[in-house]
Amino acid sequence: MHIHAYEKLWLAASLLLILLLIGSVTYGAVGPGVAMISDSEQPIDSQGLDEDDRFSEPRVEQVGENEYAAYVVAYQFGFNPDPIVVPANSTVTFYVTSRDVTHGFEVVGTNANTMVIPGEVSELTVEVGEPQEYGLLCNEYCGAGHHVMEGKVNVVSQEAFEARNDGGDDA
Amino acid sequence: MGQNQAAHASSDDVSGEEEFDPIGTLTLIGIYFVILLLSWVYIYYIEFLGRDLVVVG
Repeated sequence: MHIHAYEKLWLAASLLLILLLIGSVTYGAVGPGVAMISDSEQPIDSQGLDEDDRFSEPRVEQVGENEYAAYVVAYQFGFNPDPIVVPANSTVTFYVTSRDVTHGFEVVGTNANTMVIPGEVSELTVEVGEPQEYGLLCNEYCGAGHHVMEGKVNVVSQEAFEARNDGGDDA
Repeated sequence: MGQNQAAHASSDDVSGEEEFDPIGTLTLIGIYFVILLLSWVYIYYIEFLGRDLVVVG
């Protein structure tokens, strides 16, 4: 079978393109460590969040050296805690669940973005940098007040974070 | 099927396929290809990986 030279060229270019696409996604996973948000968390009772260890008091707590866990409950129409305050230059794992309907959890302008499903816990880990204030919003239509459902993620200096938490214990 | 292809190939060869040389189409597809590559590099490496809070776990 005869194949025209241009066709051979096109076949080779197509294969090269496929290799480049797979290669760059592989690079993303190996180099910067880009990960998927998995279903590794156990299901929970969305009606019983009041008795849940993690979600009865939504909060940010230290879980290791420079590692923090943020337990967040999304509801119609907001996020708790609000603002979510995390220390700068640390590793933060968000555990997000919903107590009513499906919501979205999107830290605006960043790659931190997941669906929040009642009865499920979405877990995502990010590295935060310098102090900064991020917006947080729901990107799944969740009811009449969807458009006002927003929050804040405040990255503050380590000192400010500790001062705030010491103050928080008294309250 | 093998016989069919062989028959077609021989008739194509007789018609002189190499004379069909669409250099304009090749150039156009080449330009599209380069646009595609540059777009991918921009979307993945600059827009996606360059944003804050890359999900790492």
